[in-house]
Amino acid sequence: MILPVEVMVGAVRGGTSILYAALGETVSERAGVINLGTEGCMLVGALTGYAVTASTGNPWVGVLAGAVAGGLLALVHAILVLSRGANQLATGLVVLFLGLGLTSLFGAAYVGRSINAFKPVGIPGLSSIPGVGDVLFNHDPLTYLSYLAGPAVWWLLYRSRPGLILRAAGERQEVLAAYGHSPLRVRYLAVVAGGALAGIGGAQLSTAYANAWFENMTQGRGFIAVALVIFAAWHPIRAVWGAYLFGAALALSPALQARGYGFNQFALDAIPYVVTIGVLVFLGRRRAHAAPEGLRKVFEMSGT
Amino acid sequence: MNLDAARLARGAGRLALAYAAALVLFGAFVVTKGANPIQMYGDMWRSTVLNGTSIGQVLVKASPLILAGLAVAVPAKAGLVNVGGEGQVIMGAVAAGGVALALDGTLPGGVMVVVMMLAAATAGGLWAGLAAVLRLTVRVNEAITTLLLNYVAIDLLLYLIYQPWKDKFGSGQPATRALAVAARLPLIGTSKVHAGFVIAVVATAVIFALLRWTSWGFRLRVVGGNAEAARRAGLPVSALLISAMVVGGALAGLGGMVHFAGAEFKLRPGMTLNFGYIAFLAAWLARHDPLKVAGAAVLLALIAIGGDSLQLDSGLPAAAVNVLMGLVLVAVMGRGQTTRRSPKVAGIPAVAS
Amino acid sequence: MGKGWKAAALAAVIGLLGVGCSSNSTSTTSAGGGATATAPGTGGKAVGFIFVGPKDDYGYNQAAYEGSQDVAKAFPNLKVLTAENVPEDDNATRVMEGMINNGAKIIFATSYGHLDPAMKVAAAHPDVVVIQQGNIATGTIPANFGTYFGTVYEPVYLAGIAAGKATKSNKLGYVYAFPISQSIDNINAFQLGAKSVNPAAKTYVVNTSNWCDPGKQAEATNSLLSQGVDVITQHQDCTATVIKTAEAKGAFTVGYHADASALAPKGWLTGSQWKWGPLYVDLVRTTIDGKFTGSKFNANYRVGLKTGDNPFVQSPYGPSVTAETKADIEKARAIIAAKDGSPFKGPVMSQDGKVIFADGMVPSYAAIEDLKVFVDGVVGKLPT
Repeated sequence: MILPVEVMVGAVRGGTSILYAALGETVSERAGVINLGTEGCMLVGALTGYAVTASTGNPWVGVLAGAVAGGLLALVHAILVLSRGANQLATGLVVLFLGLGLTSLFGAAYVGRSINAFKPVGIPGLSSIPGVGDVLFNHDPLTYLSYLAGPAVWWLLYRSRPGLILRAAGERQEVLAAYGHSPLRVRYLAVVAGGALAGIGGAQLSTAYANAWFENMTQGRGFIAVALVIFAAWHPIRAVWGAYLFGAALALSPALQARGYGFNQFALDAIPYVVTIGVLVFLGRRRAHAAPEGLRKVFEMSGT
Repeated sequence: MNLDAARLARGAGRLALAYAAALVLFGAFVVTKGANPIQMYGDMWRSTVLNGTSIGQVLVKASPLILAGLAVAVPAKAGLVNVGGEGQVIMGAVAAGGVALALDGTLPGGVMVVVMMLAAATAGGLWAGLAAVLRLTVRVNEAITTLLLNYVAIDLLLYLIYQPWKDKFGSGQPATRALAVAARLPLIGTSKVHAGFVIAVVATAVIFALLRWTSWGFRLRVVGGNAEAARRAGLPVSALLISAMVVGGALAGLGGMVHFAGAEFKLRPGMTLNFGYIAFLAAWLARHDPLKVAGAAVLLALIAIGGDSLQLDSGLPAAAVNVLMGLVLVAVMGRGQTTRRSPKVAGIPAVAS
Repeated sequence: MGKGWKAAALAAVIGLLGVGCSSNSTSTTSAGGGATATAPGTGGKAVGFIFVGPKDDYGYNQAAYEGSQDVAKAFPNLKVLTAENVPEDDNATRVMEGMINNGAKIIFATSYGHLDPAMKVAAAHPDVVVIQQGNIATGTIPANFGTYFGTVYEPVYLAGIAAGKATKSNKLGYVYAFPISQSIDNINAFQLGAKSVNPAAKTYVVNTSNWCDPGKQAEATNSLLSQGVDVITQHQDCTATVIKTAEAKGAFTVGYHADASALAPKGWLTGSQWKWGPLYVDLVRTTIDGKFTGSKFNANYRVGLKTGDNPFVQSPYGPSVTAETKADIEKARAIIAAKDGSPFKGPVMSQDGKVIFADGMVPSYAAIEDLKVFVDGVVGKLPT
């Protein structure tokens, strides 16, 4: 396989778990709630997905359970933020520690277990297209599903009535309340849905990509997802591209090494963050305006 | 006055209830893991709180947390959110480590300590100041930039210790050579607590005094209360915001130096162990009151050290302490607000009106 | 609030007065002196073990944990204290101090990076024996300190033979974490073993810069496989992902740390795994008998095939390994175990064609652990 193709294959393979988490975080933040505990939601999703697959033998049931687990942990965040008035940046971190601790404790029994994992399934016809076939059409089912997830979230947010209500909850909750909707309920739903998507991302990591459970196996991918949402200016399709960009950054180093080149991973690792800051600087005002109003209140963006 | 006392009492009651709830929940939890909760808490109390060595370790662990917690509290007074403690701590450690690599063989130890402190405070201050400047010039929110800058700082540290600064005579693992003994922070008396704790205590006192009794502190609070009104009143809002962030970053940078020169002596991957994030939580637990921030930092350090007892005395897995910390934080943060109006930065304003 | 302020100021002043009384160095000896009268490591109520990762990682840490449980069985009067996820920094010092508080007089610091904290604790507690697993102490070794390890590269060399025989593409893949000397030795031994039976065999290496990031492991394995590699081995702390990824793609696997043949029923060739129990028990017995100082353990102790008690042993064979391959491996095992045998017996050339060990030379364990280059036939650069 030539280098660019291999890196693109790796980008899709490694970017998919981040993609789900970033889409989830987009939904949550669009409703005005940031969840720094996305990493924790991914972890509980990864463990629950793996454990339930181990006991049921069905990875689809596992992923579903992973989504529920991610959603439940996000619910803790939602309750603290929305009903108890706690600071959402802080409670996100609390949720992270909770997720890390719980999964390490209950996950020990699943290290070294074998499960009936998702396997790559080539799509007949398409998978044999040179290059493109390998990049796009030779993956596990959750990766194919992720191709639909980006557009689906976009459609939901920008073309559907629930999406309009959700964005309104994040922008102008007074208006929403005036029309008889409960911004509180919408936000709860958005945060939990965001956690569920992060849970699916975690489950993709454990039941498809790495095919193993190990404590703290997400290794910062949840934090990457949070950064990505900002990079993407809260837009789901841009978040998808961002996830693949991170995936490519992760795939480049092993691809080069396997060809005998030495490489420093860390210069590469920093690039996406520096680029994000650069984008924010150059598009500063425009990007700042892309931020949901509700979030700007969290970040206190008025005043200066 | 009476009303105030009643409010305080109610707040303290709620807080006590929250801690109790967290401890009971965790106790129930360890039962499922086959441990006896009463004995567990007894052992934890005995080997953490009643043990001089452990208390020393708590203070060592708390020192960088206190400084990084103040780094959140000072900007918060001006209405700024500094999520970048982690990065600023790392930049402080990197700066201290860098000047140490270059100079610790030539300068006397005491001078070296001062040089490292200056370098660390400068690096942390610049790292945070960058976020403040970006907010004022291109209006990029500082919570976002400080968060992103954390990752850049981590990658910078890793790059340095994997390549240019790696100890050529080391064992192949990514780390710098050890700091010269003379340049390390001295220990206090005959204890095992290094002078970094004194630095943290002094910093707490100084910040408390600055915020309470100087016009700078007063002006910060005015800006934090209503920036627009402050501007109309002729206050130099931009300079105040930058100063708050730079002071915060400098404190976190000092925290990194204290950890490096007091406990670690080498730059290593993962050396900061989420100090910045834990300190962020300490600051929020304490609602940004400098003295309470120091207290909260000591409390979180106490829980972290108590995790040793969970493993050694009760045979629980290492991760149990994360659950305990998570539960305590959930309970304390979820206990609800006392009647005092929370600062504007605290979460979303009441939703259903 | 006024009270709080005064208290803080008071504390600061008291603190400032107290500063500067002692230096913060590893040579600081603490209270608890006077122990010099008795031999270090004796009279304890407990034995402590610290692990860098979780004790159920199905890998390096689990193997060490299982060894600690053998100690518990052999010495019912001693309490075995274990602490997992102990980082390779000042936290390790703290946890070991905690174990000493709980009556431990013998402490096993089982990760390569625990060397510095272990030496710090040994210096502060002359009455406690601290032993470190896998690293090398330089300079004078204190009376209460030592390092120990197996010659890990011997079984890896034998496994390399199995790999060299099995490969069809003559490309072998090695996923490692950091360029520490153990990993460099293993990669070199693996290549030398493969080359001894298959002169065309080459070993492609990829590092992950992390002891356990399953995502990075999957990517590294996939990258190697897409270069045509058909036998994969590794030096990681958690091993399942690499093995399962290789098995799913129909490649052969050589294991490390543990017998993972169940994870790769088709592709498993053989591997290397730990059996720490006998060595740990021997070490504890020597120490509580008061004979640690001056013993073989009070040094950089290395054992291998020559001494017959290597704690790192070959894993069972998989179904595809032929009788001929097994015979080759037995032959090589006998040669290594002989007096003038070594996987690194010269001539050994480096990647860039320089002579590392001259023709006929049998290098010492120390010389082998000091290697900082890859041997000829390894493809990939060592991060510098």
